Amino acid sequence: MIFLRRQLPLLITLITGLLFAGQYYVPHPASEQMLTSATKWLQIIGGFALILGVTSLFHQHAVKITRQEAGWGYSLVLYAGMLGTIAAGLWADGKEAVDGAMTAFGWVYNFMMVPLQGTMFAILAFFIASAAYRSFRARSREAAVLLVAAVIVMMGRVPLGEYLIPLSGDVSSWILNVLNSSVRRAILIGVSLGAIALSFKIIFGVERSYLGGGKE
Amino acid sequence: MMSFSERMLKIDRRIIFLVIGLCTLLPLLYPVGLPIKISSEVRGVYDHIESLPEHSVFLLSIDFDPASKPELYPQAIALLRHAFKKKLRVITMTLWVSGTGMADQLVTQVAKEMGKEYGQDYAFLGWSPGGPAVIINMGQDLSSAFPSDYSGRSTKDLPVLEGVRSLKDMTYMVSLGAGKPGVEEWYVFGKDKYKFEMGGGCTGVMAPGLYPLLRSGQINGLIGGLRGAAEYESLIGQKGKAVAGMDAQSATHFAIIVLVIMCNAFYFSLRQQRG
Amino acid sequence: MTMPFELIVGAWVATGLTLLIFTFLYKDNPLFKLAEHLYVGVSVGYIIVKTYDTVIVHLVVKPIIDNGEVALLVPVAIGMLMLTRYVPKAAWMSRYAFAFIVGMGAGLAIPRTISSFILKQIEDTVRPLLSLAGPDGVTFSMNLLNPASNLNALIILFGVGSVLFYFFFSIEHSGAGKAVARTGVIFLMISFGAGFGYTVMARMSLLIGRLTDLIEFSDASYGRPTIWLSVLIIGTLIVLGRRTKPTPPEV
Repeated sequence: MIFLRRQLPLLITLITGLLFAGQYYVPHPASEQMLTSATKWLQIIGGFALILGVTSLFHQHAVKITRQEAGWGYSLVLYAGMLGTIAAGLWADGKEAVDGAMTAFGWVYNFMMVPLQGTMFAILAFFIASAAYRSFRARSREAAVLLVAAVIVMMGRVPLGEYLIPLSGDVSSWILNVLNSSVRRAILIGVSLGAIALSFKIIFGVERSYLGGGKE
Repeated sequence: MMSFSERMLKIDRRIIFLVIGLCTLLPLLYPVGLPIKISSEVRGVYDHIESLPEHSVFLLSIDFDPASKPELYPQAIALLRHAFKKKLRVITMTLWVSGTGMADQLVTQVAKEMGKEYGQDYAFLGWSPGGPAVIINMGQDLSSAFPSDYSGRSTKDLPVLEGVRSLKDMTYMVSLGAGKPGVEEWYVFGKDKYKFEMGGGCTGVMAPGLYPLLRSGQINGLIGGLRGAAEYESLIGQKGKAVAGMDAQSATHFAIIVLVIMCNAFYFSLRQQRG
Repeated sequence: MTMPFELIVGAWVATGLTLLIFTFLYKDNPLFKLAEHLYVGVSVGYIIVKTYDTVIVHLVVKPIIDNGEVALLVPVAIGMLMLTRYVPKAAWMSRYAFAFIVGMGAGLAIPRTISSFILKQIEDTVRPLLSLAGPDGVTFSMNLLNPASNLNALIILFGVGSVLFYFFFSIEHSGAGKAVARTGVIFLMISFGAGFGYTVMARMSLLIGRLTDLIEFSDASYGRPTIWLSVLIIGTLIVLGRRTKPTPPEV
């Protein structure tokens, strides 16, 4: 049983990992055909992963409702929203519009989901302003450099700033294209090296936290 | 007894909220229309589309959801208007499930406005899960990744896709990305192997991180945030929501700059008082 | 021109929901919580419908029925294994599915990341310097404003080098090493500053987008939902505020 539960999954990871890393360097038609089929499979499995991700909420809110815990009414709203959307979606065959005419599902999407999600993120505008006022202080030389760069870029990227101080546009463009580019490039190289190291650790079974779930 | 600086630093944050709200609202209601300078990053995408011959295949991947709509929706509209004007064959799709409805709506709207016919001049492939897997699969075989388009028609029967078997047949590709998967994934899993020319559009938050790819020529242009969209709208001479938002953008940036200066002034005066 | 009924109702609903979320700026309150939960519910419902329609209907069932692609049942089986996470006794079986996708993901990523982000980026850092010596001898352009100038290429090489040095040699620096690491930090700070500026830009753009919609919906053709619903929601907040004990706002 240990083999089935523990070693076989690690073996699968090892084989698929090496196979698809090696595939990149083997342009043989059979190897390309394997890549085509496997990525198609990955697409389908990706759909199941998505469902697994969102359905973890079901249980959590169902418990709240059955036990009538504090705020269970909100969980009821969540369920109503979800079931209502699913019903509208299945009724409309999963289409928001058919030949340019909005379906009920499209209506829910356009007039509920779009404004709700959009506004959720729009309120961050207020909090970043408040955070800037509270914590953006030149406490050290490094902080001062950060602050000055931020102010130049904020000025140089809007018409009013470029209108009042034309140089601010050029300076912020230089900061972005040269100074920022070099730092982001170093970060990109560093992060990529890290990601590759992690990928190798996964393939060779050193990193195995992704297996999770269930007893040994 | 709190000093003036101390009290100002502890001001109710809702006053700041109100200032930001007004700085956004007032310029939207009473626009000034300051001129917008065009950056070389945005011009890169524009010039490339401008140089494409008629019937070139242009793939636009609308990789965002309603959370980034204000920034990327105007970019998508401006790009589509430009591509349709240049009579390119326009293929659109999305890698973001929550963006599907929005992508369909904007493609349909711009096509209708430009008098384009579905299937003949453009197509919307819809969404497919798996991010990088979709990109690779499209690079291998487009009809495998998308056997049917958004409305369920077989992609093999669409005239606009005639001769287009995989990503290798795309003349130009732009990903409008709000995160992962987005511009970077399109490069790593797409262009790296399938060698099509590529440009990018992204949210303001992501833009600074994409400059290394721009410098190395891995993408040949970058439209960053609402500002980038406004530049593109100016370039094609059809001003829309992005240009309209630029005055408000100016006002809020200056509000933040003033807030930062005030906060530092109070901070230093407080530090001096305390010695 | 008269507005279709569903658009008018839509405008009222969209405006109402937008304003409910905005009430969070005053303080956390039941109206916001209601909208927040509705958002999660609707989003989850939407994702479920889209996934079902795209994956089950278009990627699996149709190809199997139309073209007899039965091999597609394999990924479906792997996908189903993933769902065994919900059955405690069989949860270990989900490991096969995760082993497959994680292994394949790692395998696909390794060569492509090396090629795209390591080799190409290093090449572009070094190449501009190799091209200094052109056919007409050594040339050096000093123009700071041209991102492709030789001076900027040197600055980039120095920036990339010092930041990488700072990252990878985080031991105590001394002497020349200390100077390089300190330069790396300054470069980092400038880039973070630019990043902050762009983040502010992005956040403000989102607010501009939402307010543009609210302004559109304050039009008489929709029946001015923005104005009426603002009044209604502020009224409700006042009533709610009186019923509950006032709490000092968070700082």
